[in-house]
Amino acid sequence: MSQPTAPEALGSLTDETPIDPNSKKAKAITGRSPMQIALGRLLRDKIAVICAIVILFFIIVAVFAPLINKMLGVNTDTVFPSQYLDMLGGGMPLEGPPNNGFDPDHPFGIAPQTADDNLAYWVEGCRTSLTIAALATLFASVLGIVIGLLAGFLGGMVDKVLSFFIDLFLTVPFLLAALTLAPILNERFNTADSYVTIQKFSLIGVLAVFGWMGMARLIRGEVLSLREREFVQAARVLGMPTSRVLIKELMPNLAAPIIISVSLMLPAFVAAEAGLAFLGIGVTSGASWGQTIAKAVKYFEQYSLYLWEPLIGVVLLVLSLNLLGDAIRDALDPKTRR
Amino acid sequence: MKRNKPLALVAGAALITLAACGGGNGDDTEGTGTGTDKKFGAQEGGTKDETLQGPAEELEGATEGGTVTVYVAGDPGPNSLDPTDGWSVLGNSIQQALTHRSLTQYKRGEDGQPVLVPDLAVDLGQPNEDYTEWTFTIRDDATWEDGKPVTAEEVAWGIQRSLDAETFPAGPGAEYSKGYFAGGADYAGPYTDKGKAYDAISFDGQDVTIKMEKPFPDMDYWGAFMAMGPAPLGKASQPPNYGTDPLSNGPYKIEKWTPSEELILTKNDQWIAESDPARHQYVDEWIFKFDQDQAKVDQIMLSGNSDSQTAIATSIGSDKYEQANSELGERLVQQTSQCVSTLTPDYSKITDINVRKALAYAYPYQDVWLAGGEVPGVTRVPANSIMPPGMAGKVEDFQPDGEQITYNPEKAKELLAEAGEEGYQITMIFYEVDPLAVAVQKQITKGFESAGFKVKAIPVQVSPYDIWLNPDDKVNKTLNLRGVNWCSDWPAGSTMLPPLLSSDGVYNTAGFNEEAIDQEMEDIAAMPLEDQADAWGALDAKIMEEYFPIIPTAFRNDLFVFGEKIGNPSGDAALGAPNYKDFYVMQ
Amino acid sequence: MFAYIVKRLISGFLVVTLVSMAVFALFWYGPSSPAKPICDREQGVRCIPERLVAYEKSLGYDNPIYTEYGKFVKGIFVGREIAFRTDVYQCDAPCLGLSYNTKQPVTHELVSRLPATISVAVGGAFLYLLLGVPIGVAAARRRGSVADKALVSSFLFLSSIPYYLFALLTWLYLTVLWEAPVVSDVGYFSPFSDGPLKWFGGLFLAWVALGIFGCTQYTRYTRGAMVEALSEDYIRTAKAKGLPARTVVYRHGLRAALVPVVTIFGIDFGSLLAGTIFTERIFEIQGIGYWSLQAVGNKDLPVVAATTLFSAVMLIFSNLIVDVVYSFLDPRVRLS
Repeated sequence: MSQPTAPEALGSLTDETPIDPNSKKAKAITGRSPMQIALGRLLRDKIAVICAIVILFFIIVAVFAPLINKMLGVNTDTVFPSQYLDMLGGGMPLEGPPNNGFDPDHPFGIAPQTADDNLAYWVEGCRTSLTIAALATLFASVLGIVIGLLAGFLGGMVDKVLSFFIDLFLTVPFLLAALTLAPILNERFNTADSYVTIQKFSLIGVLAVFGWMGMARLIRGEVLSLREREFVQAARVLGMPTSRVLIKELMPNLAAPIIISVSLMLPAFVAAEAGLAFLGIGVTSGASWGQTIAKAVKYFEQYSLYLWEPLIGVVLLVLSLNLLGDAIRDALDPKTRR
Repeated sequence: MKRNKPLALVAGAALITLAACGGGNGDDTEGTGTGTDKKFGAQEGGTKDETLQGPAEELEGATEGGTVTVYVAGDPGPNSLDPTDGWSVLGNSIQQALTHRSLTQYKRGEDGQPVLVPDLAVDLGQPNEDYTEWTFTIRDDATWEDGKPVTAEEVAWGIQRSLDAETFPAGPGAEYSKGYFAGGADYAGPYTDKGKAYDAISFDGQDVTIKMEKPFPDMDYWGAFMAMGPAPLGKASQPPNYGTDPLSNGPYKIEKWTPSEELILTKNDQWIAESDPARHQYVDEWIFKFDQDQAKVDQIMLSGNSDSQTAIATSIGSDKYEQANSELGERLVQQTSQCVSTLTPDYSKITDINVRKALAYAYPYQDVWLAGGEVPGVTRVPANSIMPPGMAGKVEDFQPDGEQITYNPEKAKELLAEAGEEGYQITMIFYEVDPLAVAVQKQITKGFESAGFKVKAIPVQVSPYDIWLNPDDKVNKTLNLRGVNWCSDWPAGSTMLPPLLSSDGVYNTAGFNEEAIDQEMEDIAAMPLEDQADAWGALDAKIMEEYFPIIPTAFRNDLFVFGEKIGNPSGDAALGAPNYKDFYVMQ
Repeated sequence: MFAYIVKRLISGFLVVTLVSMAVFALFWYGPSSPAKPICDREQGVRCIPERLVAYEKSLGYDNPIYTEYGKFVKGIFVGREIAFRTDVYQCDAPCLGLSYNTKQPVTHELVSRLPATISVAVGGAFLYLLLGVPIGVAAARRRGSVADKALVSSFLFLSSIPYYLFALLTWLYLTVLWEAPVVSDVGYFSPFSDGPLKWFGGLFLAWVALGIFGCTQYTRYTRGAMVEALSEDYIRTAKAKGLPARTVVYRHGLRAALVPVVTIFGIDFGSLLAGTIFTERIFEIQGIGYWSLQAVGNKDLPVVAATTLFSAVMLIFSNLIVDVVYSFLDPRVRLS
């Protein structure tokens, strides 16, 4: 079964990579020492370098979010909106954008209705976005690699059953599943003290559970071809235990497809997190770009900056991740020319 | 009466409503806005005119014809059109005004006050000495949409249906018919108790007589509910089918109904204007569009295009209020709805009145309204007690603590210190699904914490009422602060105080329990009718002053937007809805 | 071939069964009673525990889950009666349950919303091909030129933006800010009762957003496939025979290049039919996708189950059809 590439699939969460792992090209890579060559090619790619710098910027913001907010003198504390908003004049901020000039206390302005500081929420939103995308990628990758390895290596019935499950998960509409699951998970844990964290993890769980299939298929295909190769055959004949064959012999040869998969997953998860928050689920307590976008849409005419801030955050991050991923895929495949 | 609109769940959620007159006055709304300040008409409670007869007075300049589209944002509308099953502000305001008649009705009087006038009955009913038996004489010229006359037998049958709480669980009959009619509590209704005789409702010629279990002086108000109207006999009104296409007897009949989407009403040519003291039939066709997106509705109404000229919107987004206020002028109508929003500290846990008062001073009123998407001073105004402004007997200038309680964390700290309860732990819930409720909770938490409370706010994914009203709920047992929004069913204290504050009151989420107060409520119900209003008002003030068991946070108002070709833009204070009875399309 | 189709049908059927079971179980074992939403909807705050129990009983939620699942499946084939407390409704086959919101059979509403979703899908998919293929061919023919490079990089850029933000901005600017004539009255209008112009205007922006965004993928595929095809030997032969360049490119090259494009197209079209939640939400089109989103919000469980199933069936079928068609188009593929 192939996968949809339509835009509604939330970026390319379930996208097939453009490279067929069984093709001669992929084998050619694994034959040489690919990583150094690829890295060299990547460093010569200007767009890739720029994207990497942008991504690095976002990572720094995410990692040091509290510190950055402190340095800039802003915070996500709740404030009383009546002190900062023009209550009878349409609820727009008394100082700063959109109706007044730059407000040094709140460089990004403040939000209508709640008077929250936009910059602080932007920085925290970046953190939320990257944390969730990174962890979801991690879990989905592990899941995908394990299932792909098992299916490809063991073959037979195991392969049939696992392939069926891959198809099954590809058939479930991801958005609907996420929409249905997230509130149920939230309700389970609503009395816990660490609710905000649990909510994030349940979102990560949902993303990972519906995001591992691409990786699994890629790995399975790769393993299917690798396991017929002499060095694997030899290891098996020598009586190496299966787990050792998998980890010692196969894994090192799977680096390229894994990197390719991850480069597809990361931007897709960033987009998915924001998209779900935009639809009103996902992170509801705490800061999230998607949530701010959803709130800001109705103020677009009066206060477009409020929408543009998180929107540019999402677009820039997803764009850089996608372009860098593209460059990585190119670099790993010596045959493509852009 | 309930409000379905999910937004209303925000700070404690308005669910039970029907309205009556009410009104604050323009003082609260003075501001620096560029638009005109909105004024409410000051209203007196409980005006009646039992002599008014049809036809309804012609409106000046009214013309016939045209189609009116009503946009209802964020509310899916009624589940069933069966008059017996209707107890929502939205559904009742439409059906009672346009399609379904009952014993009595409200008419918008001068200054916007609702006046109780006869409808199917020739007067407002004849009670006996102690209000235990009421007789309504049904007029002989009222007709169904098929041209047949409405008979006393059909009215008696319709009223008898209201006792079937099993079949009409959402209807108001379960509360009032069963509560007051003789033997009502034991009679499960004509569908559930098939074949069982019920003799408290009888008819003789044109007279319908209802015997009461206990004195019920407000029967004439209860008669204004469409559940107190006729239903075709026998199979013709069999639920649930009748609920999808009930037979109309008002000036309009149901052309097409798609639940949660659309209701189309067309002229009922069998309706006789002479038989109806308050309804008009100027408009040719009504189209109600439910569950609309507020932003889209605002866009249509403010665009001034041809679609919007003959349209009405039942609400407006707070982000568009200023623009609407300056551009629309008289076409933006503000209507009080007889509702109060409250916080209810658990009476058995927060026993010190000073702590309860400290909560009232720690609640950041203006900020909560802003964060909740309300327009402070317009859609929410400060409250002083439980009975809404304008209700008969209400002590208008009463203040439980000398002056209007506003956000004052210093005062709250003092009160806490006085009680020796610094750092008092508050546990409450909020409806996490709605981003507005989340924003509101943040404000409340901040307000309380700045006043020296500790706050634990538990996010919930179901309506807070599910938790507050379920005594066995595990979360509910941990709470010491709840809330309730309550609207009166008619303008009398008896529909406000007992449900919220009697020890067995259904919505007594505070768990308030004082024998003396229970006794006093019973005493008032037994008083002569003319004394009751003032007694309820006095009790309202007394409870707030002596016990302060509930923190009233706001009285609520609604905003309606009218297209420029809608004649006579006005609100119906009785229901807190647009005044559908009196609109016309300017040609 | 026939055996292959049967095999695929069986596995597809198995997938649908599992998905339906999963959805069913999800509600059943969810935190609150599956009858709770309907009880809330009808009773508001008066949904007290005793009444909830009555709803659960009438809807069969007090029975074991497999009994009820059996009834659900039986309803799909022969129809059944469904009771909300004392009210009994007839639900004819194929019965997917009754909507909690409208108490109408879900199937009816599904059918009534299909035209909107099909309109979106057909228009969007049409634009994919109409824009994507010619641009891809043109780029392949001028491979390496400045225009080609500019096109490839700008399309790469565009397709790297999350789709829903692209659609959102299209809507915000064209509809809200500029109030463009005709097309800013977004939503689905029946081409028959509201007139074709209104239908076209209401959907136009959705098509454009979907089409422009989606066509970037097709340009990439077409370009890649064309480049490969044009370097094949038979093309060289055709050129050597002296055939006009136009014939070579379109008759010989494009024909081969289109095979993979058609494959992807089939699957895309299937997923568009399965419901375009973002597109329908942003452009206020009352199709299947928006319906499912609203149903999740209202906790209208039968509708959620039905839309999920519908999406799964659409995806499975489009995949199956694509695989079969592919085997006809490309004789090298042997289905087994």
